[in-house]
Amino acid sequence: MSFGFVSRKVLGALATLVFVVCFNFFLFRVVESDPVGNLFRGRNLTEGQRLELQREFGLDGSKLEQFARYLEQTVQLNFGRSYTTSEPVMSLVWERAWPTIALVGVSTVLSAVFGVLIGIVAAWRRRSKADYGWTGFTMATYAMPDFWLGMLLLVTFAVTLGWFPVAGITNAGSDATGIAKLLDQAHHMFLPALTLTLAYLGEYALVMRASLIETMREDYLTLARAKGLRDVVVRNRHAVPNALLPVVTLIAINFGFVLSGAIAVETIYSWPGLGLLTYDALRGPDLPLLQGLFLVFSAAVIFFNLVADLLYAYLDPRVRTE
Amino acid sequence: MKPVKLLAAAALVVLVALGMTAVATAQSDDGEKVVLTVGIPETYDSFNPMVGVEVPDFDVWNMQYATLTDKAADDFATIPGLAESWEASNDGKTYTYTLREGLEWTDGIPLTADDVAYTVNRARDEEWPNYFSTVQNITATAIDDRTVELTSSVSDPKLPIMDVYILPKHIWEKYDAKAIKTYDGVNDVGSGPFVLDETKRGQFWSLKANPGYWDGAPAVDEVIFRVFTNADTMVAALKSGEIDVAHDIPNNSVEDLRNTPGIVVVVGQQGGFDELALNGGDGLKKPHPALLDPDVRLAVAHAIDRQTLVDRVLVGLGTPATTISPSASPAWIPEIPESEQIAFDLDKANQLLDEGGYKDTDGNGIREMPGGGEPLDFTYLVNTESQAAPEVADFMTGWLKEIGIAVTPKSMDENRLYTEIGNGEYDLFQWGWTPYVDPDPMLSYFQCSDIAKEKDGSYNNDANYCDPEYDKLYKQQNVELDPEKRQAMVHEMLTRFYKTGVYNTLWYEGDLQAYRTDAFEGWLRQPAEIGPVIFTNTSPTYANLTPIASTSDGGGGVSTGAIVGIVAAVIAGAALIVYFVRRRRTAGERE
Repeated sequence: MSFGFVSRKVLGALATLVFVVCFNFFLFRVVESDPVGNLFRGRNLTEGQRLELQREFGLDGSKLEQFARYLEQTVQLNFGRSYTTSEPVMSLVWERAWPTIALVGVSTVLSAVFGVLIGIVAAWRRRSKADYGWTGFTMATYAMPDFWLGMLLLVTFAVTLGWFPVAGITNAGSDATGIAKLLDQAHHMFLPALTLTLAYLGEYALVMRASLIETMREDYLTLARAKGLRDVVVRNRHAVPNALLPVVTLIAINFGFVLSGAIAVETIYSWPGLGLLTYDALRGPDLPLLQGLFLVFSAAVIFFNLVADLLYAYLDPRVRTE
Repeated sequence: MKPVKLLAAAALVVLVALGMTAVATAQSDDGEKVVLTVGIPETYDSFNPMVGVEVPDFDVWNMQYATLTDKAADDFATIPGLAESWEASNDGKTYTYTLREGLEWTDGIPLTADDVAYTVNRARDEEWPNYFSTVQNITATAIDDRTVELTSSVSDPKLPIMDVYILPKHIWEKYDAKAIKTYDGVNDVGSGPFVLDETKRGQFWSLKANPGYWDGAPAVDEVIFRVFTNADTMVAALKSGEIDVAHDIPNNSVEDLRNTPGIVVVVGQQGGFDELALNGGDGLKKPHPALLDPDVRLAVAHAIDRQTLVDRVLVGLGTPATTISPSASPAWIPEIPESEQIAFDLDKANQLLDEGGYKDTDGNGIREMPGGGEPLDFTYLVNTESQAAPEVADFMTGWLKEIGIAVTPKSMDENRLYTEIGNGEYDLFQWGWTPYVDPDPMLSYFQCSDIAKEKDGSYNNDANYCDPEYDKLYKQQNVELDPEKRQAMVHEMLTRFYKTGVYNTLWYEGDLQAYRTDAFEGWLRQPAEIGPVIFTNTSPTYANLTPIASTSDGGGGVSTGAIVGIVAAVIAGAALIVYFVRRRRTAGERE
């Protein structure tokens, strides 16, 4: 990959980011709103208090003045303070990002790994019972709404059978540390992760299956078999790597969406992640928090799209020569 | 074949991990501490009394910070708090409070009149929203360590009530006017029965008992508030004993919980009400011309069947209302004799409209303005964030149709609802309020001066109705020191407002809560018999609870089930692996 190619892609990504930063500002101001009025309704504010709050929230001055202030602060990586909690936006986002990253990250990895494996099995033995079985299963779970699946698993395994906790990420108020704490969190994460994994298995399975079936028609596989290689070796060493290309980019792009999280599943399991934080921020609206959250989501997507671009070019030389 | 074996092995590892965690967590439960666990569906915003406004904050403040005077659990009567006694001056504007002996903050520093004066004066100077309406006219002076003098510049009927949270000067003076706005308020220095211990916003927060509390150390060692974003799991956790009490349980779980032995459901009323409001015509935009006619307003008011709404929309979890309730204490609501109430009477409504000349000249079932003008079609704003609002709108549309009035509904969220009401862009809407204990704030909202003054501006008077006589009575009660006279004035202004039919209170409803009877006893409802047990005005329950001696719960059951499952999975996994390994060995022969 030439330096020119890479730098072109990187510059493109940066330009998109700048556009997103500007767009974010106007996005939340399209609808007329009065955060001070909404957040402090019925609280008996004096006119002086109201004006003071407006000033603190940066809502005084013309739209252009507010925009200039916003750009200046963003460049300094100052994302302001939440209207509702007065905490710096970035620390709020950071605090809630880890549960989401853990949950959705783990689920993405698991659904990618298992989905690919299922896709391979289904493609290699296509039109067999195994194929229909696996494809049917993953399509069924993919089609199910993830919150419904979550409720089902929750009611069965947590409420009725009591094998798992019903809510949260830790046992509140417990003093566990170290390994015990990690195990406790894993225990809490099992059901939500299972829900998300099952829900997105189908995506990878179906794409991998289709891609592998395409590849199976290639001549070089016939040659490999003619050379006397075992079936398994032909599949694993020759067919699968070439079929993996579309899946690789799919995985990379899906990682970009990890942060935006899975609000429905987070709500079902009372998982303290970014999804619920975003929903709460819509009241008001809590502009700095929303802007910060959307910026973080957009940046993640842009970054991983860039990674996918470069990765694909790295893996498939045909793409670079354009 | 290899990937499938990989699959089996991976599944096995996952199941073993599950087993380990199940076993590990089964041996939790430090049996010595008495812990009360509260389930709540929302999280706090800030524990800084200057910043926070959400419901969860207040219970923490009620537990961590004692107040000068307290409120009785049964009727909000003023009782001693940090102050053991007080004396009024001749003109009633100055009160001298004597603090109890030996008061201390949890870090050992003595609590003195200095702390009281500091809190009151600073809150007034910096206009702290939660404190301002109480202290705006008050100057506090510490006479000596145990004596503090509060002087009001105007006659204030609320005194001697001083229920603002007294903060420790030695902690809070470290934050200047700017820094205090961003301080999160999380510290364990307080004077109440409990102080903050650990906080994880969005998950839980815990408080530990204060052994030096002036009213005696609480019997509960620790109180944990847990956030449940899924109300159904919160109810399940209550039933399984994972939590001891739940706040804001969903309507549809009430029946089920009432039938569950060992669980008590509480419909806790604190004066909250919902109203069907008409556009009073004194705001930025006038309503449909018909609504400016007082008889039409009364006709609409007569078309409201409150009992049906409570039975069908609230499934019985509320009471039909007359006037607005300005206070959490029901004493401030006037008794309006039945003969004077605006009853559900469609015939009367039709009669009023007929006599007003609003006839249906074109036979389409909708009346028109006298002389065959504009049809009576009212714009009705429906609050999408309320469960009840769309259902109430359906009922109202039906009843209004029966008196010849058409309804055009417009759905919107609360942000937009607030703006549209302020701008007068409506004829009808339904919304609600929750009052404080003192009626003054709620009453103040309906003054002429509280109507929105500019487009998209702030306001409180969502009746858009101006009545100079109401304003006059408001100003009188605002400075009336004789409690009986004050109550009479309030009753008069509320009755007046009620009779216009502009603001029709539908029901008084409350918070739905439920608690277990097997873990603790001593649950206090505030006010008595009708109020909630937690998240009340002063939350006296927490300090009052005592544990019921119980045997340890069946924690072993969980791990047994999990262990059985794991063993089965291990055996199955092992069998799978053996099978596939055999297949692999024979693969060469098969191909």
